[in-house]
Parts: sequence; C-alpha cells; structure tokens
Amino acid sequence: MTVPRPVIEVRDVHKSFDEVEAVKGLSFSVNPGQVLGLLGPNGAGKTTTIRMLTTLTGIGAGTATVGGFDVQSQPDEVRQLIGLAGQSAAVDEKLTARENLELFGRLYKIPRTERRARVDSLIAQFDLGEFADRPASTYSGGQRRRLDVVAALIAEPPAVFLDEPTTGLDPRSRTELWDTVRSLADDGTAIVLSTQYLEEVDRLADEILVIDRGQAVAQGSPTDLKAQLESDVLEVHVRDDSDIEIARDMVSSLDEVIVDAEARQIDIRVSTAVERPLDLLRRLEDGGVGISHFQLRQPTLDDVFLSLTGSPPAEDEETNE
Amino acid sequence: MTIQTELPGPAQIVTNPDIITRIRRAALDTGTVLWRDMIRTMRQPDQLAFAVVMGVFFLVLFNYVFGGAIGAGTGIDYLQYLLPGVLVITALQGAQQTSLGLAADFTEGVNDRFHSLPMSQSAVINGRTIADAVRNAVGLILVAVLGIIMGFRFASLGGAISALALSIGIGYGFSWLGAAIAAKVRQPEMVGMLSMFWLFPLMLASTAFAPAETMPGWLQPFVRYQPISAASDAVRGLANGVPVGSDILLSLVWVVVLLAIFVPVSVRLYMKVD
Repeated sequence: MTVPRPVIEVRDVHKSFDEVEAVKGLSFSVNPGQVLGLLGPNGAGKTTTIRMLTTLTGIGAGTATVGGFDVQSQPDEVRQLIGLAGQSAAVDEKLTARENLELFGRLYKIPRTERRARVDSLIAQFDLGEFADRPASTYSGGQRRRLDVVAALIAEPPAVFLDEPTTGLDPRSRTELWDTVRSLADDGTAIVLSTQYLEEVDRLADEILVIDRGQAVAQGSPTDLKAQLESDVLEVHVRDDSDIEIARDMVSSLDEVIVDAEARQIDIRVSTAVERPLDLLRRLEDGGVGISHFQLRQPTLDDVFLSLTGSPPAEDEETNE
Repeated sequence: MTIQTELPGPAQIVTNPDIITRIRRAALDTGTVLWRDMIRTMRQPDQLAFAVVMGVFFLVLFNYVFGGAIGAGTGIDYLQYLLPGVLVITALQGAQQTSLGLAADFTEGVNDRFHSLPMSQSAVINGRTIADAVRNAVGLILVAVLGIIMGFRFASLGGAISALALSIGIGYGFSWLGAAIAAKVRQPEMVGMLSMFWLFPLMLASTAFAPAETMPGWLQPFVRYQPISAASDAVRGLANGVPVGSDILLSLVWVVVLLAIFVPVSVRLYMKVD
C-alpha cells in the first residue's frame, strides 16, 4: 500500500492586514478524497486562509502547496488545479447557469466537445435543469449556491475550496450540498471546507481544524474532538435578576459555565450521566434560585469554543480583504 | 511544457508556457470574456440606452438652446459643428461604463473567481474594453441617425465611417483610463464620482460644443490640444469632408498615449492582491 501524497499542504502560514494579524500560523494537509473542515466563528480567519490558498491574496509568511506547486511563486500552475466556491467567489448574475459553466469551462481551457458534455452532465447530476437557462439573478439562495459550487467543479480539479458554502441555506438545500461534497470526496477530490456549523464538519470532515482569532485551537478527527466534548449542556433560565446573582455564586466553582445575566441564562457543561444535571438543578433550587425553565442540549459551536479556549468565540467581523 | 499529474482531475497542466502559448491563451481568454461581456451587454439594454440618451440630450439641448447664439456669433452652421463633438462625447460615456462594469465585477465577486482561474488576467479588461467599443459603435450609429433626422449631412459615406471609427478609437483609449480607475478603487459609487472629475472638465473645456475662439484666452492652449478637442476637430473634419491631417494625427497620438499609459497600469492594478 502506498501512502497518498497530500494534494494540499500548508505549513505555518501567517497573514496580516494593516498590523492586524488575521492568520497566525496554521498548518494542515489534505489527501485525495479527504475533507478538511475549517471550523470557526466570524473573524476567525477562515476566509483569509482560503483566499491565500486560492491565490486571491498573498501569503504573509509560511508556505503552502497545491499538487506540489508553491501557491505564492507558482500561482498559474496552482490555478489549474483548484476550484473555488462560497463567499469568496461568485457567478455572473446576468448569465444563465449553462452560460456560467460554459464561461468557466472555456477559461479552464477545456476542449469544446468535452466541455459541452461536462456542462450537460453537471446540470443533470446536480439537478440544475429546471433553472439552467434562466439568468442567475433570478435564482433562490439555494439554487445560486448550488451553481456556485458546481462552477468550481467544471474542470474536475483535484483540490476544491468551499468557503462557507451553506451559510444562509435552508435545511433541504444544505443537505443536498452535503451530499454533493461527500460524493466529490468519494471521487478522490481533496476538499477544504470552512463553516460556522459544528454539525457540518461533523457530517463531512475527515479532519477538523478549529480556529479562533487566526489560531488553531484544536485539530483532529470529529471523533477525537467529540471525545473532548462528550458532554451535554444544561441550559438554565432563571426568573429574575436576583436569581442570576445567587446562581452565579453557586456555579462559579464549576469548570465550564457561561452566565448571561442579561438573558438570565446559565449554560453549564455536564457529563452525560443523568444524575449530574438533576443534581445541579436540585442544588440550584435548594439554594433559592427561581428556575423558570431549563433544557439539556447538544454542545454548540459556542460551547466547543468555551471548552477549547476558555472564552466564547470572538464576535468581530470577518476580515474580508 | 506540460506535466502529467498523478492527481485526479486534469490529465495535464501547463507549466512555464513559452511566449507563443501565453499569447495564444491570452487571445483565447479575451475572446471568452468578450463573449461574456457581449451577453451582458445584450441583457442590459439600459446601459446602451444611457449612453445614447446622453448623446441625444447634448445634441438636442445644445442645438436648439445654444445653437442660435453660437451660430449667429460665429457664422457657422451649428448642427454641422455640433454633431461630431457629440459623437466623441457619446464615445466617452461608453468609456465611463467600462469603469462601472469592471467595478461591478469587483463588488459582485466575479473578479475573485476570475483571479482564481488559470486565465490571462489582462483578458478580463481586454474583453471588456472591446465589448464596450462594440456597444459604443451601436450607440454612435443611433446618435448619428438622430443627427441626420435633425438635418445633419455627412459629406460622404467614407467620411461618416471614418468619423465614427475615430470616435470609437478615442472612446477605446479612454476605456482603459476608466479600467485603471475601476481597478484601483473597485467600488461603483467611487468610480462614478471619479469619472466626473476627468470627464466634465475635458468635455466642457473642449471644442466639442463651441470653437476655442469663443473661450477665454488663458484657457485656449488647453482647449486646443486636449484629447477631446483633438478628436472633436478631427471627427468634424472627416464628417464634413474637410479632413485636417494634423487633427487626425493628434487624436491618434492621444489614443496611443492613453493606451501606452493605462493598459499596463490597469492590468497591474487589476492583478494587485493585498
């Protein structure tokens, strides 16, 4: 058995915009058929990372290669090997889906006969038929995003970058897109996918890189990461402001707690054993905290971040330079 | 040179292409972008309408409002004077649309995809300026037809064709100035404002609407030699059957100067990444 050579290799890349360091030393590699999930909140540096790897912005420091070609010094070669979709790239609004695919296929220099066949098969495969001959400006969000992703596939590139491809999509379109990404990886494509959704990387990624403020805070398979997070969150809503103060004192000794005084809400990470949440609730009530309602739920991205970084994710806007 | 890849996807990729391959690929890409921009042009007839409306506006306004005064003051047939100037001004409106169109590509994000594709980056501007020149040709013919209806007479068919061709040429030169502005600021609103800065002074302090002699003495050297005056005078000579070699030469020099400066500048600005 041969060890696959990674399609994408990133070593300690950095990027600054006007003194602000957007990406501070990320490293990862993606093999053929693998999906790497870049998970992080807005402003974490996901878009900047993808823009660096797709030659849209220069690499500040460190190296990155695609198919063995250096992204910084051999962009013309790298561009022949990549497809890009999502926030960073758009389709032409005035053109139909078929015309957009034809346009990008021509620019990838795919020979005419092959190109026509490829456009037709992509339209059939990804169900673009019903709107393929209408201008993209008339599409729904889901239709446009689908075209956007398909446009990245026209040349069957070995490396595909998807920058938050499902942000703003309805659940059905999201599931369809997940199927697309999965089948693409099954065909041997190396994929980098950025997202804010834990569920998405859980479903799709072979390897997850959790980033916050430009830094990797965790890296591993979904199973590894979930093992680190194998506990639910007890969300307790209390009656009034005095209750929140009493509760704050009582839970302050616990490890992972977010107290939101304004919302009168407390999130406590608990082990999955049922006794613990009940125990906690009982102690709160015995301590005189008026509980209005509570729920036990799966950890969200916020909880992951709290667990990994000790603070909720940064809320600043993505550096879209 | 091409390399066989072990990767799935494209069977071979081009590395270190020689100059012939590069030119061939750039020409291919320019053709592709031109095809795209022509589709866009046909789906946005309002752009053509806007360019023509400005021409019609100037033609009608100046002819009927100022025509009497200028005609009486100078003893010339004002419509025969005015129309060639309006053709040049209409061509400049087209140049402004190069600016706006390219800026829109930046805001819509299409340019980001273009940047990520294995294509000649200069083809994006090349294709657009050619597409705008084609649209300009249609707009100029419409304005010329209106002029003829109003009573303008071209001296000959050859004169008409060469007058239109020279107008398109000067518009093409200014398209690259527009492209450079758009590639620099990348926002339609800013581009629209900046275009006014060069367009209005050049347009009004020119011989497009009135002879240089009617303007203050200190302004006359500028008025006589600036590109829009040169083009207006040259187009006027051609249209009226009295071509003046020096005017035509000066116009062509201006086109060459504009291209020599703004082709490299706009391509460099367009390709600039931060």
